[in-house]
Amino acid sequence: MLSIANLHARIGEKEILRGINLEVKAGEVHAIMGPNGSGKSTLASVLAGREDYEVTDGSVSFFGKDLLDLAPEERAAEGVFLAFQYPVEIPGVSTTNFMKSAVNEIRKYRGEEPLDAVQFLKMFKEKMAYVNIDQSLLSRSLNEGFSGGEKKRNEIFQMAVLAPKLAILDETDSGLDIDALRIVAEGVNKLKSPDNATIVVTHYQRLLDYIVPDFVHVLYKGRIVKSGTKELALELEEKGYDWIISALVD
Amino acid sequence: MATDTLVTISLPKEKQSALDRFLAKGFPTNKWEEWKYTSLKSLNDTEWHWNTSEEASLGAILPVETACTLHTNNGKMTLEGTLPTGVSYLDFASFVNQNPDFANVFAKRNPILDQNSLYDLNDALASSHQVIWVKKGVQVELPILHTYFANVSISSAIQIKLLIYLEEGAQLTWIDDLASSGDSQSILSNYVQEIWVAKAAHLTFVKTQDFGQTTTHIDHTFIHQEDHSVVDMFTFSLNGGLIRNNLHFYVDGQQVVSNLNGLYVPGNDQLVDSHTVVDHRMPNSESNELYKGVLLGNSIGVFNGKIFVRPDAQKTNAFQSCKNVLASDKATMNTKPQLEIWADDVKCSHGTTTGQLSDEALFYMRSRGISADAAKTLLMLAFVQQVIDKVEIPALKESISNRVVAKIQQALGV
Repeated sequence: MLSIANLHARIGEKEILRGINLEVKAGEVHAIMGPNGSGKSTLASVLAGREDYEVTDGSVSFFGKDLLDLAPEERAAEGVFLAFQYPVEIPGVSTTNFMKSAVNEIRKYRGEEPLDAVQFLKMFKEKMAYVNIDQSLLSRSLNEGFSGGEKKRNEIFQMAVLAPKLAILDETDSGLDIDALRIVAEGVNKLKSPDNATIVVTHYQRLLDYIVPDFVHVLYKGRIVKSGTKELALELEEKGYDWIISALVD
Repeated sequence: MATDTLVTISLPKEKQSALDRFLAKGFPTNKWEEWKYTSLKSLNDTEWHWNTSEEASLGAILPVETACTLHTNNGKMTLEGTLPTGVSYLDFASFVNQNPDFANVFAKRNPILDQNSLYDLNDALASSHQVIWVKKGVQVELPILHTYFANVSISSAIQIKLLIYLEEGAQLTWIDDLASSGDSQSILSNYVQEIWVAKAAHLTFVKTQDFGQTTTHIDHTFIHQEDHSVVDMFTFSLNGGLIRNNLHFYVDGQQVVSNLNGLYVPGNDQLVDSHTVVDHRMPNSESNELYKGVLLGNSIGVFNGKIFVRPDAQKTNAFQSCKNVLASDKATMNTKPQLEIWADDVKCSHGTTTGQLSDEALFYMRSRGISADAAKTLLMLAFVQQVIDKVEIPALKESISNRVVAKIQQALGV
C-alpha cells in the first residue's frame, strides 16, 4: 500500500531524511527504530504532510497515489493517520465535536452522506471500548489538561473512529507508564486487520513487546541502515545501536 | 462641512447649549487621546440629514421568546405587545414627574469620564428620550427585546436616548438587537443608554451589533449600580463599518457585581473600538471584564479598558482580560489596559494578548481530515465560545454563534 523511494527531506537548510526506501503491505506492522535525531519523527511528519519540512527528492506512493501531492487533510481522507508524539491541546473544542467534524469532512471527500447525531453516538460508544476511554474525557476540551496517558488514549480513540488504512504511531510510548502502555497497545492490536498496516516509530523496544512487528528498521542519519524481523529489536535492546553504526562504511 | 447645517437648527435652550458644546468640539479626530485609533473626521465629508422622517422597514426579528418588543426604526420608537406587569414605558418628562427625586439624581449624575462630543450631539438632537421602568421587586421572567433598525435612502444621522431604571430588587433581561441595512447610504447611529440599577436589582443586558458597511455606530452605555446589585453586560460587535462602544460602569454601592463581556469580529475595512470604564467608588465590590476579538481581513480593533479604584473602594476585586486573534497579516489590534488604583487593600489584575492561530493546532486538525478553512473556523469559534457560552438564552446564543461562523467563513472565502 505504501511505497517510499529515495525520500529526501529537510527543514530549513538542514537535511534530515537522506534517501529512505520502504515498502509496506496490507496486514503488516513495521517498527522504525533508531537513536535520537536519526529522523524517525521527521519521517512520520513528512508522511502526514507537516508543512515545516521540504521534500527535496524521492517519492511516496500510497495505493498508487502520489502522497506528497496531497494536503494533510486529503491524506487523512485517503486513510493515513498519525498518532502524535505530543498531541496538541485545543481549548474550546471537545473531542466529540472534533471527531464529528473530521468524520463528516472525510465522508464528504469520499462522496458519502454525513453521519447524524444518533449514528455518531453509536459509533463513539463502540470505539470508546477499544481504549477504555471515558465519555467525560471526550466532552472536555481536546487534550486540555489531559495526563500523558489520557492524551495517548485519546489518539488511539481517534484512530479507532477514523479507521485508517495506514496508522503511523510516533513515539506513542513516550510519557506512558506500563499500564497505560498496555491499554494503548491493546487498542492498536484490536484495530489491526489484514487490510490495514501500522508503522510504529519508537526509541525503545518496550512498546514492541505489546505491538509485535513483522519488520524492524533501523534509521540512522536519515537512512534505513538495517532491516530485519522482530528479533532485531531485541538485539538492539541488548546491544544498543553502536554495533550497527560502527559496522557502517559511510 | 457637514456640521454647517446644524447651526441653522432651532432648539430649546438646554438642547441649544448641548449643540453649542458639540459644535465647539466637533467630531473627534485622532488628535484626541481617547480617539487615537478611531478618527471620526471623515464624518465631516457627509451631508447629514439630522432628523430623518423616513420610515424604515422592519429588520429581521431574533428568534427568541420575549415578553414584548420595543422597535426603534430610524429613531422612532414603538412598542409591540404588552409590557409585563410592573414595567412601564414612558417618556423622560413623565418619568421625572412621577419620580421628582430622580430629577436631582439625574442632574447630579456622574461626569462622563471620556472625551466625548457625540454625547452632546445626542443630547441636542435625540429624537426620543424614553424610559423603561421596572418597579420595586418585580422580576420580569422573559426578556424584553429592543430591535433598533436603520434603513435610509439619504445619508442620515439617527440619535436616540433610552433610560432603563430598575428599582430595588427588580430583575430584567434586556436584549438590544442593533442593526442597519444596506451598504450604500451613510448612517451615523448615535445611541445613548443611561441605566440605573438600584439595591439588589439584577440586570442582564445582551447587546448585538450587526450593521451595514456604511454605518458608523457610536454607543454610549452608562450603568449606575447601587448596593448588592448585579449587572451582566454583553456586547457582541458582529458587523459594521465603524463601531465605537463607550461602556461605563459606576460602582456606587457595596457588594456590587459588574460583569463586562465583549466579543468583536471586525472584517475587511471595519473597525471596532471598545472603550470601557469601571469606576469603583465604594468598597467590597467586584468587577470581571472579559473581552475577546477575532480580527479578519484588514480590520482594526481597539480595546481601552480603564479601571478606577477610588480611595474609598477598599476590598475591591477588579479583573480584566482582553484576548485577540489576528486572522490575517493585515489586521491590527491596539490594546491599552489602564488601571488607576488609589486604595491599598484591593485585588486587581489585567492581561491582554494578541496572537495568531497556532500552526501546530491547525496541522493537528488537518491531519484528522479537517480542511484548513474548516480548522481555522473551528479554532476561531472555539476561541470566542467562552464569551458566547455565558449568554443563558439558547436561541440567542445560537444566533450569535451562527453569525460569527458566517462572518469567519465569508472572510476565508468558504
